[in-house]
Amino acid sequence: MTPLLEVRGATKAFPGVKALDGVNLTLRAGEIHALVGENGAGKSSLIKLLTGVLRQDEGEIRLNGEPVKFNSPHESLAAGIAVVHQERNLIPRYSIAENMFLDRLPVRNGLVQHAQMRREAQPWLDLLDLHINPGTPVRYLSVAQMQLVEIGRALSLDSKILLLDEPTASISEHEVERLLTILRRLRDQGKAILFVSHKLEELTQLCDRITVLRDGKNACDDRPLKGMTKADIVTLMVGRESAVTDLGERTAKLGEIRLALRDLATGAGHKGINLDVRAGEVVGLYGLVGAGRSELAKSIIGAYPVLSGRIEMEGRPARIRAPLDALRDWHIGYVSEDRKGEGLILTQSVARNTAITVWHRIAKRLGFLWGGIEKAAILPFVERLNVKTPSLDQAVGNLSGGNQQKVSVAKWLAADARILIIDEPTVGVDVRTKGYLHRLIWKLAEDGAAILLISSELSEMVQLADRIYVMNDYRIITEMPNSRQYDEMSDRLMTAIHRDNDARTQSAAAE
Amino acid sequence: MKQSLGDRILNIEWLPLLVLAFVGILVLSMISSNFLSSYNLFVILRILSVTSLVALSQMVVIAIGQMNLAVGAIGGLVAILFGALLELYHVSIPLAFLAGLAVGIACGALSGWLIAWTKISGFIITLAMLSVFTGLNYGITKSIPFYNMPQALKAWYDSYVGPVPLILFIPLIAMVAVAVILHHTRAGRQMLAMGGNPAAAELAGISLMRTTIMAHTLSGALAAIAGMVAVARLGTAEPTIGSDWLLASFAAPVIGGAILTGGHVSVIGTMIAVLIVVLLENGLILAGTNPFYIPFFLGALILLTVLFNHWRNSARSSPLLRRGGH
Repeated sequence: MTPLLEVRGATKAFPGVKALDGVNLTLRAGEIHALVGENGAGKSSLIKLLTGVLRQDEGEIRLNGEPVKFNSPHESLAAGIAVVHQERNLIPRYSIAENMFLDRLPVRNGLVQHAQMRREAQPWLDLLDLHINPGTPVRYLSVAQMQLVEIGRALSLDSKILLLDEPTASISEHEVERLLTILRRLRDQGKAILFVSHKLEELTQLCDRITVLRDGKNACDDRPLKGMTKADIVTLMVGRESAVTDLGERTAKLGEIRLALRDLATGAGHKGINLDVRAGEVVGLYGLVGAGRSELAKSIIGAYPVLSGRIEMEGRPARIRAPLDALRDWHIGYVSEDRKGEGLILTQSVARNTAITVWHRIAKRLGFLWGGIEKAAILPFVERLNVKTPSLDQAVGNLSGGNQQKVSVAKWLAADARILIIDEPTVGVDVRTKGYLHRLIWKLAEDGAAILLISSELSEMVQLADRIYVMNDYRIITEMPNSRQYDEMSDRLMTAIHRDNDARTQSAAAE
Repeated sequence: MKQSLGDRILNIEWLPLLVLAFVGILVLSMISSNFLSSYNLFVILRILSVTSLVALSQMVVIAIGQMNLAVGAIGGLVAILFGALLELYHVSIPLAFLAGLAVGIACGALSGWLIAWTKISGFIITLAMLSVFTGLNYGITKSIPFYNMPQALKAWYDSYVGPVPLILFIPLIAMVAVAVILHHTRAGRQMLAMGGNPAAAELAGISLMRTTIMAHTLSGALAAIAGMVAVARLGTAEPTIGSDWLLASFAAPVIGGAILTGGHVSVIGTMIAVLIVVLLENGLILAGTNPFYIPFFLGALILLTVLFNHWRNSARSSPLLRRGGH
């Protein structure tokens, strides 16, 4: 039987990085297909090709065996491919029915027929076990219910292919169960479903076949899931050959405990967090996406409130109510994982982006800041990090990803950060710069900084960290020294997370 | 998700405003015996007729999450063109009205098209158009009003249907029309959808360009009608018509419950807000307040009602919005 949808040899390059490199994907009617990969592996680029947001440079998409080209999201939708994005795409104040029929409102004599719309929406809601009046505004629904409304919209469009991008990322366990039941039912009715998720537990329960992406390539292409273990999938995702590039040896010269979290509970949802970072130490915080690592970093710098417990700096309790306190009083720097959104001001110059953390220090009387003062203050750091830019006046947005990342680190060096929290240091960075950044992190530690490293990339973690804390569901589940042996460490870390997940599933079932 | 009738009534967004308006009327009728005089009511209704059109004109642009700073400039330009047609060319009133409406529609469509085509913020485009239209207005008139409006216009303005001034029907019809357009036509639903979530609206196949042009065109038409009603009210076509509309045009929709980022406006709320604003001005005058202080009280009223709306919304929706930190 011809597969419903095929992607053959899709390649998509962005300046400086190949997001997809000859990727294949096959979806069949009556099957749920898993798509997995680490952050930056190319999943979202692939989905954007299928939904007409991006166009591939090479390769083709076939629908029922016929090559197709999508020039806009609308064309892909019209061809029967519906996508439920990770974030919700609904009009909050509009009713369920109106959101479902927004692109084809029924009109008689120029007037929208609200009642007719509600009647037509009802069967789809029934099909999804969503027993809510279709006239209800969607802003009163839970995230899970909104997701079902979007699935209902896809079904009402008679879509044969349903792409679900991390549908379980933001809904509760109970709601996940319900969603999986519904997806199985849709599969049995002959839909082709692509299910993207980081949660391997769900994948193995739900899916029939799997495609794994790694660094923009197929790590596996359309393999039956039967007989595969979670460990097999992780191995495919993470890869072995990319495991460890040689950084040489490192003997950490440890100083005093610089940052200590004691029984910390935060407004982001963390509970009972205990963690130490010493001067000169690189401490890893590992966990899967959604474990709460970046949120912990943001709690330390005061972006989320501390509910109970304490943060101690160099043995003294620290009151950090806002990022301003973290920077000025305690010299904590946070290199955000979201370089473009949170880390840098892309339209402004290298000099400004680097000096932003020290403006308060270098400003002259009455707050005057001259470009010359700024440049003099930051030049040593820009040079030390070897930022490749034509001039300090260049807008940061014009630099490559790797050099942007160097600028994000430089500003904290300029601020004389004694504690540096580095969140996903090498996302979207080419291999050479990656090696450079890795050496830099070690160098910073040798110079006496305390470093808390957050990374989803296992090989990076094993390579850089002296000690690793493992986080799952906003708790620290274990702490271990790093042997720097990739196979051993990946096994120990994954086992810890899976064991914790199993324990949680059991206790949830017991309730 | 079933609500009892009582809950439904309490949830009506404009209910507190209505209460406020009634309290205002009550207080005013107690402090001043002149308030309920037919002459004073007549004055209030007349002011209401222009201001409510101005507010609706701004409101339809707020609905898509933009603003139209040129509402007053369009009103002023149309007002003097209307006056010129009547005085210089002796065009019949209905024909002059249609011509004025056409000019307003053209002005609004031009702003909308520029915004949609250039993708430059509506704020800056309409700010430029404000100056363009005002300049045309002053250039044509050399700042001199058209004084000789036909008797028929004045007579029509002064006529009654039973006890109700005829002129009041124009904002009433406009109000019903805007409500029907926003809630019951495809174009209107697309406008509010765009304001509520532009990304989702575009993904659902709504053309944001066309919707932007539509909202500004409708806004231009309403501003034009407001300008012409103002001419009828004043009895002269003054070039300064519209120059003081900006504050009320935003104040009324926002007091009425509109969200400035778009997606939600209330026609009834806006109308009651206009009433409250007019009552406040009228009350201050009746109470013998120095009229130069009126903007101060108006500003205070805007702040207080907006704070109240904000507090009420966050209090009501908190369990839904603060769902978990992750």
